[in-house]
Amino acid sequence: MSLLTALWVVPLAGAVACALSGRAARWTSLAFSLAALALSAAALRPVLASSGAGLALAGGAPGAFGVSYALAADGLSLSLVGLTAFLNLICVAASWDLDVSAGYWACFQALACALCGVFLARDLFLFYIFWEATLIPMFFIIGLWGSDNRRRAALKFFIFTFAGSIFMLLALIAVVVLHQRATGEWTWNLAALRGTDLGPAAPWIFLGLLVGFGVKVPMVPLHTWLPDAHTEAPAAGSVMLAGVMLKMGVYGILRVALPLAPTVAAAWMPLLTLLAAISAVYGALCAMAQTDLKRLVAYSSIAHLGFCLLGVFSGTAQGLAGAALLMINHGITTGALFLLVGFLYERAHKRGLSDFGGLAERAPRLAFFFGFSIMASIGLPGLNGFVGEFLCLSGIWQSSLPIFAVLGVIGVTLAAVYALPAYQAVFWAPEGPGSVSAKVRDLGARESGILWTLCALMLWIGLAPQPWLAALAPSLRGLVR
Amino acid sequence: MTPAQVPIVAWLLFLAPISAILFGFFILRPLKPEWTHWPILLSCAVVAVASVALAARVYADGSFDLNFYRWAAVGDWGVDFGLRIDGPCVAVLTMVALVGSLIHVYAASYMKGDPGFSRFFLVFHLFFLAMIGLLTANNYVQMYLFWELVGLASYLLIGFWYQKESARKAALKAFLTNRVGDFGFLLALLLILTTFRVAQFHIIYLKVLVLASGGHTPEFLPLIGGLLIWAACAKSAQFPLYFWLPDAMEGPTPTSALMHAATMVTAGVFLLIRSWPLIAAVPGLPTAVAAIGAFTALASAVIAGTRKDLKRILAYSTVSHLGLMMLALGLGQIGVAVFHLIVHGFFKAALFLCAGNVGHAIHQPTANVDEVGGWRKALPWTYACFLLAALSLAGVFPFGGFFSKDAIVDAALSRGGLFAAAGLLVSIGSAFYIFRMLFLTFHGSRPEQKGLSAHPHEAGFGFVAPIVLLAVGSAFAGLLRPLIERLVDGGLHGLPVSVGGVALQMNLPGSAMIPGFEWRALLIGTAMAAIGAGAAYALTMIDAGWDWRWRVSSPRLVRVFDTDFGWKTLIGWIADGVTGLGNFAGRVLDKKWWDGAIESTGSAALGAGGLLSDASRGRLNEALWWMAAGAALLLAAGGLR
Repeated sequence: MSLLTALWVVPLAGAVACALSGRAARWTSLAFSLAALALSAAALRPVLASSGAGLALAGGAPGAFGVSYALAADGLSLSLVGLTAFLNLICVAASWDLDVSAGYWACFQALACALCGVFLARDLFLFYIFWEATLIPMFFIIGLWGSDNRRRAALKFFIFTFAGSIFMLLALIAVVVLHQRATGEWTWNLAALRGTDLGPAAPWIFLGLLVGFGVKVPMVPLHTWLPDAHTEAPAAGSVMLAGVMLKMGVYGILRVALPLAPTVAAAWMPLLTLLAAISAVYGALCAMAQTDLKRLVAYSSIAHLGFCLLGVFSGTAQGLAGAALLMINHGITTGALFLLVGFLYERAHKRGLSDFGGLAERAPRLAFFFGFSIMASIGLPGLNGFVGEFLCLSGIWQSSLPIFAVLGVIGVTLAAVYALPAYQAVFWAPEGPGSVSAKVRDLGARESGILWTLCALMLWIGLAPQPWLAALAPSLRGLVR
Repeated sequence: MTPAQVPIVAWLLFLAPISAILFGFFILRPLKPEWTHWPILLSCAVVAVASVALAARVYADGSFDLNFYRWAAVGDWGVDFGLRIDGPCVAVLTMVALVGSLIHVYAASYMKGDPGFSRFFLVFHLFFLAMIGLLTANNYVQMYLFWELVGLASYLLIGFWYQKESARKAALKAFLTNRVGDFGFLLALLLILTTFRVAQFHIIYLKVLVLASGGHTPEFLPLIGGLLIWAACAKSAQFPLYFWLPDAMEGPTPTSALMHAATMVTAGVFLLIRSWPLIAAVPGLPTAVAAIGAFTALASAVIAGTRKDLKRILAYSTVSHLGLMMLALGLGQIGVAVFHLIVHGFFKAALFLCAGNVGHAIHQPTANVDEVGGWRKALPWTYACFLLAALSLAGVFPFGGFFSKDAIVDAALSRGGLFAAAGLLVSIGSAFYIFRMLFLTFHGSRPEQKGLSAHPHEAGFGFVAPIVLLAVGSAFAGLLRPLIERLVDGGLHGLPVSVGGVALQMNLPGSAMIPGFEWRALLIGTAMAAIGAGAAYALTMIDAGWDWRWRVSSPRLVRVFDTDFGWKTLIGWIADGVTGLGNFAGRVLDKKWWDGAIESTGSAALGAGGLLSDASRGRLNEALWWMAAGAALLLAAGGLR
């Protein structure tokens, strides 16, 4: 079994093992998560060492309708695989004391398996299978272990993203059929399909792909499933959802949509950039109005992914590198924020801004980590968030549409407007009459350890992003144009 | 020069504060929080000595500028982080280190017993570190990093007593206003990288000068300059973004002293000093800087004369003096601007700490002229220091402020017109508000001042010694004139560059000249100070109740001054507008209209299928499992073939 296959098979085996190991499932889950992280590190190491040039391939003979088992990995894929494995381990550690059944642990392993598959697949059928397979564990994670409104949110999440994927599947089939007509050969291989003349169907195909991926990102106006899903999911679920699953959308646009329909993408660039800029500003504006801490972080994700798309659509080296780095950064930072909100919710079963107050006194460690992560999230230079945002904005500034960079910078400015008042209300303001702050005890050693890890990463990437950029840049060069 | 040849003192500027903060945070804060200040005070001493040594080195051997490591490089541009140690840097750095260290010493006494003592010192020192980083940065991105760190530290310090609503609000106002300014900085950064492909000052200067010598300015240069000025207006509290600074006195007094004298508000002026070759290359922009400075200086001097809270008077005074620095810069007098920045640092720190002592005597974070009065005898040391610093601020010969402020007035007079008028009026206004404050706080006895019945007394040695040193420094700061002139000159003229392998010298625009003693300046300066001080004497000592009477007799005027001529009202409306927009977007547009519309179609369909019932949830699960099984089968089939 090649290393690339192992990257998704190990979590799959982990899912089965967790499901079978009953009460010991958390230990099984920990062991497999560690193994997955070690594997992805092993895969990432040569890519980092050769500044991202290394490409690994695993293949098989095409089967029916040209479906083949084609996997490949470059810096972009492997860093997202690494992010998946890392956040999965973080989630296991964060959920350690939860009283949950073996299914919970199995679902997270299954999710990691499907996500790694999405990032590694180079056969579009395989890609689609893994893509849809991510929905199933996440549906259960939200629907079974979420908070009060979980069933509704799980259903909304499922229907929204499933409906989006249908468009994507139709578009993919169209590409494959067009390719077969032109060459007489059935293939789902992405590299082979690149350059297929899509003819008059091109705009429709691109639109289909865009809807499928745009729902996942989510790009305004396709975003309304996200606040509900994030809010109702358990903390670790939100971490995976925001940390990795949203990146599937950006990844799909980068890996599939832009290479398959480059001319349409170029022609639609103004519209796409406008939508991305709207996402960045609109997400921030909506976040300002939220009274639920988790919803606020959810809307901030929409804004951040808007920056990411700005970078992607800019088509410049800076923008693409920024988008790729922002995907990693957002996973770390928003992951930390969702965990912290989750810790609050575990303790007090409340999430409202007005339900707390005075937590800086009662839980100083929680306050410190929350403040640190917020600063990374609003793009304080020296922390990771800034690097990605800055590169994305720089990319868009150098594209043909610099005016959208101004909108993006307005989004950066607004980030402080939603984040800091919320922080002040929860941690600084005195406790109000209905405050549940008394139930909040400070973070324990395990929880602090998780957050130290995340915060150290934020600082590291913020101060020395160059190794990460060097690993990502070569894999991005070939993607657009 | 290689990194190995960088003098050890330059490394110490960072090593000492970073290790003190880390040691304090990880070891002392959990174990012995009341000792947090010791490593930090030690670090202050190291930084003070190191910065003086570095200044001496630059004075003797000239400056250096080198890169250490590549921060980020993508495509055709890259940003390196490094150090630029030149004249303007070390001149300001030395003042920041000395004044900042004295304020640290004061804070050790002032904050003693506060439950947040440890947190205070850690953030306070972070503030200090951020300013050192800002001054020594050799490129715009690195400067922006520390610029924002300064903003963060100030936010945490202004909101230090976060239990108070006013402190929370002031902290938020400061941070968000600065964020609005950063909007300009960030855009400028993007433009700079797009235009020049580098962020390093040195290379940008060279490119701008080469282009300018060909009679050509880059397309975006006016915009870059304007955006940098906008950013500086936020940090250095200039119109239209000055309004956060007067509220920022909600933090503990040492914070105000550090922020006003050394670590925050001077950052904007320093940014403009660093950017001067860019701004000077655009016709009209320097005049705009001067106009902003002159207007802000005058308007805030007027408002300072009407405030009652001691720290607020000083805050408006800072705004006014920063305006003077901007005026000097705008007139191309970089040496004078740096000189006044340094002298101002000394006297403003002394004044703020004096106000802190007055507040301490009535056990309050700040004091109001209603509560204190006639304390000359009760607080003799504080009074003497205040007097020295006030004389310096008012520009009375031979105190420090005479040389620096009157050099600015002198430049304004040479320019003539409105600038001259503004310069003279600001001189009168400065003398008026500072002597009004002096007389109301320390002289006379007025029935309106309730605090007369209290028995104030001088606090301990730790409260007095730093102020004495600062006040003496402000009195003698004029002696620094030739040193600063030479340092600034070294930073502007004869910079070594190599173009195509040929070693050349580069001269940046702006003048380092600082005029020395002149009879004209003595006469004019003294006359203006006398008018201001005389008016203050008449309206506080001869007619002792005037300050209370006019407030009663003309409430409309009170409103005008309380709202800063209506500007604060307008800002309030803008803030409300943004909040309202957010509420509309989040609650109405997104939740009610858009999500509502989507859900109503969805729930209609779901309702028809009865999917929301529990039984059907089972059916959905079943469907999902079938789908997964089918997918697995297909996958397996694909793999087998």
